[in-house]
Amino acid sequence: MKKLNPKDITPESLFEARRHFIKLGAGALVSSTAVSQLLAKMPEKTLTYKPDANPLKLTLNTEEQAINYVNFYEFSTDKEKPVKLSKDMKTSPWSVGFFGEIAKEQMIDVEDIIAKFPLEERIYRFRCVEGWSMVVPWIGFPLYKLLDYLQPNANAKYVKFTTRHDPSIFPDQNRGIFSAIKYPYVEGLRMDEARHPLTFIAVGMYGKRLLPQNGAPIRLVVPWKYGFKSIKSLDLIECVTQEPLNTWQAENPKEYGFYANVNPEVDHPRWTQAKERVLGKLGKQATLPFNGYAKEVAHLYKDIDLRKFF
Amino acid sequence: MKTLLFFLALIPLGFAYVKLESAIDPIKMLYTFTGVGGICLLLLSLLPSTCRRLCGLNLLRYRKTIGLLSFIYLLLHVSVFVALDSEFDIANIVQNSLKKPFIYVGFIAFSIVFFMALTSATKKLFARFATYHKAVYLALALALLHSFWAQKVAGVFEHSVILVGIFLLGERVWAWRKRSL
Repeated sequence: MKKLNPKDITPESLFEARRHFIKLGAGALVSSTAVSQLLAKMPEKTLTYKPDANPLKLTLNTEEQAINYVNFYEFSTDKEKPVKLSKDMKTSPWSVGFFGEIAKEQMIDVEDIIAKFPLEERIYRFRCVEGWSMVVPWIGFPLYKLLDYLQPNANAKYVKFTTRHDPSIFPDQNRGIFSAIKYPYVEGLRMDEARHPLTFIAVGMYGKRLLPQNGAPIRLVVPWKYGFKSIKSLDLIECVTQEPLNTWQAENPKEYGFYANVNPEVDHPRWTQAKERVLGKLGKQATLPFNGYAKEVAHLYKDIDLRKFF
Repeated sequence: MKTLLFFLALIPLGFAYVKLESAIDPIKMLYTFTGVGGICLLLLSLLPSTCRRLCGLNLLRYRKTIGLLSFIYLLLHVSVFVALDSEFDIANIVQNSLKKPFIYVGFIAFSIVFFMALTSATKKLFARFATYHKAVYLALALALLHSFWAQKVAGVFEHSVILVGIFLLGERVWAWRKRSL
């Protein structure tokens, strides 16, 4: 069999660009409004970022898997429905509010945030509390850089994150008492967790801007915690004095805590957390303490009982 | 007719088999297909006697087939748990998993259906154990609880099957009270 030379493979971006070009040509035959609609859908210019050398040699999940299997209850509790339901979500312009115990409360547009902080890639393991996991190449910047910019004062002990509440975007926020969970979705981190160099604000993945179903235009990624801590489509970031009551803890405090550190030793009351299903695989693999980041983060928790503060 | 019913009910399994290759979370998909199928068939197996009481339509001859089909789905469901999810780590299943209400509630429900399938094998066995087949009501209640617990939060399907279950069981209680008055 003839070996395929890597330099002969069409890069994905060119391949996609060609598809769009062909669609544009076809669209031009139909009408000019079709052209403008297609132009509006052109993929945003590729992000410039410092690539991750992947020193841990993690095997990436495919983009196909990561964009088609999500938990985004604001759209649906189903894993695949948010893909369709979020297709028309408008993620630009999008301002994030920064409030609370910081030097200057302000709203900043996501484009301006991106311009302020140099982007880098982070290949992280992602472990859902439901027992599945994947490896995703995120693009963004560490949260501590944003916090340095905001200058939290001495009263700022925690950081509180809130997903946007906008029923015109998120259908489940329209369902009142029939909604899956209470909105807006809230998460929180202790200040030292928030300032940890692994804690990341993502605006893209797989070399491109985030898609709506993955939490566009801007989200949090905390790789050593269960996925529900990695809150999507951020509306507010507040520095606060009290520990925020995060959504899942409010929903069911017996099953979900504030910390939500990945821990194979502490089971979910309904299922074991010892192993995980890697997306795309039929077999299972062992779950690592702190999702494989124990060396970096275990010291943050040396004074607390992880069974009690799960 | 029974053969047709049999093949109709197995179509979703063929579909699951085809989809397995491309499934993003294959174990979860198999759990869902076999679990949803098992519960729907279990509910359906209670329908013939309701039908006879409410509209005089006698479908009782299909009851056993539907019940056995439900058993096949639930057997596959348990197999996914034992073979794929737990990777045959029986010691771990007994020591850890069976302690969790979510797991043992499902396991009791399955044991009841298993017992019913066994004692339906011959006419003689059935005649001897038929009274105990009332335990299907307990199996259904436990299976519905298990399905309610299977998601982080219960969704439309979980709530719907509970409503159907309440209707089927409620109608029986109502019919029984009317008879005993």
